[in-house]
Amino acid sequence: MSSAFAIEAKGLFKSFDGKEAVSGIDIAVPTGTIYGILGPNGAGKTTTIRMLLGIIEPDRGARTLLGHERPLEAAREVGYLPEERGLYPSMHCREAIAFMGALRGLPLDVGRKRADILLQQNGLGDYTHKPIKSLSKGMAQTIQLFGTIVHQPKLIVLDEPFSGLDAINQGRLEQMIRDEAASGTTVIFSTHVIHHAERLCERIAIIAGGQVRFEGEVATARDRLRPQVRLRTRAADGPWRAALPAGAALRDGLWQFELPGTGVEPLVKALVDGGAGIEELAIERPGLHDAFVQIAGEAAARQIEEDRRADLEAAA
Amino acid sequence: MRSIWEASLVIARRDFWATVKARSFIFFMITPLLVVGFAILTAVVQSSNRDEGPKVAIVTDAETRDALIEARARLVAGTDEREFPRLERVDPAQDVRSQARALIGDDESDLSAVFSGTLDRPVLSGPERIDNAFVGKRMTLIIEEAQRNRVLAGAAPGSQPAAVERDVTAGAAGNLREVRTGVARFGQFIVFFMTLLLATMLLSNLIEEKSNKVIEVLAASVPLDAIFFGKLLAMLGVSLIGIALWGGMAALAAAFSVQLMPAGFELPDISPAIGWPIYVLLLAVYFTTNYMILGSLFLGIGGQATSVREMQNLNMPVTFLQMGFFVLALTVVGGNLGLWQWAAFIIPFSSPMAMIAEAGQSATLWPHLLAIPWQAFWVFLLIRISAAMFRKTVLKSGGEIRIMPRFGRKTQS
Ligand SMILES: Nc1ncnc2c1ncn2[C@@H]1O[C@H](COP(=O)(O)OP(=O)(O)O)[C@@H](O)[C@H]1O
Ligand SMILES: [Mg+2]
Repeated sequence: MSSAFAIEAKGLFKSFDGKEAVSGIDIAVPTGTIYGILGPNGAGKTTTIRMLLGIIEPDRGARTLLGHERPLEAAREVGYLPEERGLYPSMHCREAIAFMGALRGLPLDVGRKRADILLQQNGLGDYTHKPIKSLSKGMAQTIQLFGTIVHQPKLIVLDEPFSGLDAINQGRLEQMIRDEAASGTTVIFSTHVIHHAERLCERIAIIAGGQVRFEGEVATARDRLRPQVRLRTRAADGPWRAALPAGAALRDGLWQFELPGTGVEPLVKALVDGGAGIEELAIERPGLHDAFVQIAGEAAARQIEEDRRADLEAAA
Repeated sequence: MRSIWEASLVIARRDFWATVKARSFIFFMITPLLVVGFAILTAVVQSSNRDEGPKVAIVTDAETRDALIEARARLVAGTDEREFPRLERVDPAQDVRSQARALIGDDESDLSAVFSGTLDRPVLSGPERIDNAFVGKRMTLIIEEAQRNRVLAGAAPGSQPAAVERDVTAGAAGNLREVRTGVARFGQFIVFFMTLLLATMLLSNLIEEKSNKVIEVLAASVPLDAIFFGKLLAMLGVSLIGIALWGGMAALAAAFSVQLMPAGFELPDISPAIGWPIYVLLLAVYFTTNYMILGSLFLGIGGQATSVREMQNLNMPVTFLQMGFFVLALTVVGGNLGLWQWAAFIIPFSSPMAMIAEAGQSATLWPHLLAIPWQAFWVFLLIRISAAMFRKTVLKSGGEIRIMPRFGRKTQS
């Protein structure tokens, strides 16, 4: 087993009550990267993560976690934040963090010291002796996050870590993920919010309907789309029109089309020669959102957009 | 791979402190004290207004009366005061029959019967039902004794007890058997009762786990076997605190009551057949195995429940089941070895309670050396089965463990 990959999975299948939730997933997470699993609700992200961690067994397929074929054998080096957060309500914050560390083999006294440091560093020193039940949901989630990393794992797995957090805590989490990655930790998280994946990840897996539709670098996903050209001209018509590619569409006086294979120069020449009068000309790299639409299809894109909006409403 | 043992201890430590700090722990600690206190109170109340036995009025001439009283005294001397009805003198009136009927009908008199007539022609007034019962039979004995006395009055040298040469032995098997039956029953009851209390606590603990959704964090970090074993260990630790406290109080109470006993009072010899040191050891061992066996069964069943209501519904039949095994274990006390007894020894759910009774009534050690590994094997097996069932139905296909309705957040669809 090479140490190039923190996680490798091949052909994972899982059905619940005869219905297939995950249908043949291949994933390889390079060591030391931030890796995103992106997909709408119900795509199979959580099921995949649970199989990778050994909480449930796949019906078929194989996976290794930090080189171990039995995931629990790697438990000491893994941190996991489940989608369904759970802490003992009457435990104090420091104890809760230390307890989660102890589950992963960290001695309790070390765990307590590190809990204090984590709380202090994040300006939450007042919370040390507060019971979990007195915290807001977002704050409890932050405490659980500390418990997830307190034993300094080599691999951190976060299932929808951003949901349920306000903007401030989301920012804190982003920073934490970057810091962990900078110190060589592999971070893998699932999300149904495209821009979280886009901002943080080097590599992603786009999952829809229990299958991986794309796996690779974010840049590669984007590169599957040609850059987009936006053009606004003073003249409505003229001989330059013939130079526009066939797929060009005019909307509110704005032309939009894929950058032709010949590049932008012949087009510019035609525009200048034809006296079009360029008011606006932009060449844009496509975003991950556009790539997602192309990769996962319109339906999945619409759903992921709805999921995001539902999140915002729930948070409001 | 980290050891299951280490992981179990982490779980056990958390559960232990959570239980000890919870409010219900106080309840757990005082319940046995309340039960014992209640038992003592009932005993005290009962002994204070102790029924002195039925009373019979003797309405007759002085000679007959004295003869009856003396006869009763002789009989009581050889038996016990409570073995014969008390006699109450009443002076005879003109019409003795109607006087007797009036006496017995009088609500204030609390008489069971009335004697009139003489030793030659005794008359006993009272309802028919006394004839074959205590009052009728014992009055007949008293009358017979008085009649015999009168006949023998000249010949017999008086009421001398028979001279018997005493050959004093250390004890007697018959007595011992009685004592040991008592010890056997006592041990069984202790084991049963404690387990009942603990198992209930175990269930509420599991409910907590499920409703807090901590289980996924646990299941991702440590083997399920370790989780279940840790939970059992925690409750065992809790029970040790209980035993220490109650045992200490019992010892104190015993020491006190010995102090209060009059000088020369000798403690009756109540010792289990196998001897106190080994008995106490076995009591601890069998309590542990009994608790672990039933506890893992509880965890297995409780783990399947998907709601608090379901869990409470399960609690009832499981308790009945436990009582059933207790009754089965009771059959080994004093009885001969039959099918039921063998069943009680072998079936893992009754085996510890049956074996502790055995330790009370038999000095043979080797059956214990067989029984303990046998029971330990079942603990292991039941934990494995419970964990496997939990993994299969709850984590794998049952999916969501939903105890509380989920507020706010959308559910995955
Ligand atoms: N334990 C389970 N029991 C039954 N169905 C499940 C269970 N877990 C997930 N599913 C189903 O499997 C599919 C994938 O779910 P999930 O992995 O949770 O998706 P995601 O995390 O991407 O939202 C969904 O249709 C979901 O209803
Ligand atoms: Mg999910």
